[in-house]
Amino acid sequence: MTELTAAASRTAVDAHRRLGAPAVLPVARQLALRGVLSMIRIPAAIVPVVVMPVFFTLAFSGAFSAIAELPLFPTDNILDWMVPFAVLQGAAFAGFGVAYGTGRDLENGFYDRLLLAPTPRLGLVLGPLIYSAARSMLPLLIVVPVGYLGGARISGGPVGFAVLALAAVCTALLAGLWGLGVVYRVRSQRAGALVQAGIFVTLFLSVGQVPLELMTGWLRWVAERNPFTYVLTMARQGFLGEVTWADTWPGLVSFLLGAAGLGWFAWRGFRRLVP
Amino acid sequence: MTSTTTATATSHPATNALAQTLALARRSVLGTARQPVIWFPAVVFPLLIAAINSAALGRSTALPGFPPVESFGQFLLVGTLTQGVLFGGIIGGSDLALDIESGFFERLVASPVARWAILVGRLAGSAVLGAFQAVVFIGVFAAFGAPIEGGPAAVAVIILTAAVLAVAVGGFAAGLGLRTGSQEAVQNMFPLLFVLVFVSSAFFPTALMKGWYRRAAEANPISWMIDGLRELVITGFDRSAALTALAVASGLAALTLTLATTQFRRRLRAAA
Amino acid sequence: MSAPVETEGLVRRFGELVAVDGVDLVVEEGEVFGFLGPNGAGKSTTVRMLTTLLTPSAGRARVAGYDVVAEAPSVRRSIGVALQDAAIDPLMTGNELLRLQAVLHGLSTAEARARGAELLERVGLTAAADRRVGTYSGGMRRRLDLALSLVHEPTVLFLDEPTTGLDPMSRMNLWEEVRRLNREHGTTVFLTTQYLEEADQLAGRIAIIDQGRIVRDGEPAKLKEQVGAPTLTLQIDPDHRERARAELCARFGSERPALRPGEVAIGLEGGAAQVTEVIRLLDDLGATVEHIELLQPSLDDVFAEATGRRLEGADTDGAQPG
Repeated sequence: MTELTAAASRTAVDAHRRLGAPAVLPVARQLALRGVLSMIRIPAAIVPVVVMPVFFTLAFSGAFSAIAELPLFPTDNILDWMVPFAVLQGAAFAGFGVAYGTGRDLENGFYDRLLLAPTPRLGLVLGPLIYSAARSMLPLLIVVPVGYLGGARISGGPVGFAVLALAAVCTALLAGLWGLGVVYRVRSQRAGALVQAGIFVTLFLSVGQVPLELMTGWLRWVAERNPFTYVLTMARQGFLGEVTWADTWPGLVSFLLGAAGLGWFAWRGFRRLVP
Repeated sequence: MTSTTTATATSHPATNALAQTLALARRSVLGTARQPVIWFPAVVFPLLIAAINSAALGRSTALPGFPPVESFGQFLLVGTLTQGVLFGGIIGGSDLALDIESGFFERLVASPVARWAILVGRLAGSAVLGAFQAVVFIGVFAAFGAPIEGGPAAVAVIILTAAVLAVAVGGFAAGLGLRTGSQEAVQNMFPLLFVLVFVSSAFFPTALMKGWYRRAAEANPISWMIDGLRELVITGFDRSAALTALAVASGLAALTLTLATTQFRRRLRAAA
Repeated sequence: MSAPVETEGLVRRFGELVAVDGVDLVVEEGEVFGFLGPNGAGKSTTVRMLTTLLTPSAGRARVAGYDVVAEAPSVRRSIGVALQDAAIDPLMTGNELLRLQAVLHGLSTAEARARGAELLERVGLTAAADRRVGTYSGGMRRRLDLALSLVHEPTVLFLDEPTTGLDPMSRMNLWEEVRRLNREHGTTVFLTTQYLEEADQLAGRIAIIDQGRIVRDGEPAKLKEQVGAPTLTLQIDPDHRERARAELCARFGSERPALRPGEVAIGLEGGAAQVTEVIRLLDDLGATVEHIELLQPSLDDVFAEATGRRLEGADTDGAQPG
């Protein structure tokens, strides 16, 4: 590089400095891109997001196919029931992965680099979340074809598929906010176990395996109060029949409430981490 | 092995070796049991799954073709125990690999300890933990309304089978650990075991499954073992069921013990 | 135009622990300022406050003319920081990290690429630019860290123990780079270090910090002059050591903390001329001298005089975060 071009670039940089802070969106995009690179470079990270949901679809549909014969079960095709759940599982772990990456950054000191940038702090939180929402499309795009090959039918058409996609994004965001909230407080990768435990409990203490009507005892009580139950119900509509507003709005409301609560949890954690 | 006379040691080599085996077994048991991390895959996780599955799938007992159980929990007992033994065994069994990583293994080998005592001690420890898990699970399930129809004889068979199964998975973990010298490599087998347990009769009767999945589950030896033990739990004591279960567990143990001893000799030769 | 760095009564507490206990300093434009002190003295904590990574418990600080608390984003826009542990992501390549840094500072993608190439060349990492940073050696990571801190042409550069753990060659290279930055770009440099030689070599002015407080500040040469007397250090046989110590202190100057365990050190007021008298005294006592050395006053002596301990080889209790 010649002295002239070096000097010219220096002037450009100087000008930038005087102009002010960079906007939130380019920063968020660059951080999301970084997330993509990390994912490609740690191949094992793909397992809970794609491999496990596929396994889950095959295993649960294979082992528990008979429950579709129970009265009160909304469909006689077990795959219709399981595929949306598997997709949301993958989406939840897409959200987790992002928290894991942040934990890694905190542990190896790279987070300081991010904090030293003159960008608005919001970009540092939004970037990973946007990335997790994008990543949640992976299980969607892989599990649904697998399920379709196995015999699942999307009777609700493209609208049904769109609602499932929406639910996947919601799930990823909720899991991501939960994960970030924990990681900001624990500040290392060890937070991973706690985040996963929370995700697992939320996923399974819901209508994941059977509808509310078939549950016995304490599980029904818990599932009725678990916001994820309504998000999952919203997601399943297209696979069980037509998409209706009655089954959609509880899911949206649950997401908004969940996002508000977990968002506050994450933001408070972030504020304590960063002056 | 040179026979050195020490002031305190018993003179006969066999008694010495037995004492060493016991000491190593003790180390294996305590070392594993003391790690809180073990209790999660070994006990907590399987019980959690059982609790959720009971509550969610409980109504399945009404399906035609479902074994005549008092509760879904009674159905799940054996499968849950199997999970605990296999998961706990693979995570706990990685400590031999850890010994190799840390260099303790070399130190043991260089000491006057009888070589085979190292492996036997390790596996004896596994057996003890497996038996202990069986007692815990039987107790917890009984408390939650899942009695064992086969009575004390059945309980004895279950505990024995659990111990033998624990030796089987312990042998696998040991063999793998000796081969790779990496604790992580051993623990990475967890998903494999998870699949092995899932595609079996652990969670649901194979008779009610369909298609290729049913064929796979029915071909899985773990299913044969679980079905055998389950007979004892649900129906009552039956000799052929008990023998089937024990035979499967012993067969698996024989396989993995061969693996473990081969790998053990290999490593000793390399160290010599 | 205000000073690049100025603090007033800067304090930072961590629960009961007071890591920084009232620090006042001013760094002039274009100078290389050295912040010298043992481990746990409060150097890194001070730097983290000045670079907006930590809020002060009390007191004020202004960097590049902006208040570190109220105008933090403006501070960040004007400073470059290379912390003690190189803040890098091992999964990314050098190029990718520089590009990320550039975008984080508001450059466009094209500008980012140009800037990245220029900086990599400057720190000599062009060849390794497409390799993952995880494969870099310690020295290479520090160089990359330095490049990252310079992306936006900061007016003030903070270097927190930049050569700790580096081999001598890398250390010299880094020193040269710092001098060049200061000389050619006029960058003000705020450097923390636990190495006397580094402070001596690079800094125009220094402040010595111990247990959260500044104990001495000024130009290295003047500080050493203030100590005055050279240090005479002796290795005397144990049977005669105590007697010798008492006699020497009575006759030739005050005792100083030993440079090495088992030695006796005094400030020789009369200078080199008195050495023969010292030898004669020791001879009269019948003492055996295994080692004798006369050293011009060093920053170590400045530190010793201020705190009663030696800086290098000093045994701090490490109770405070650095």
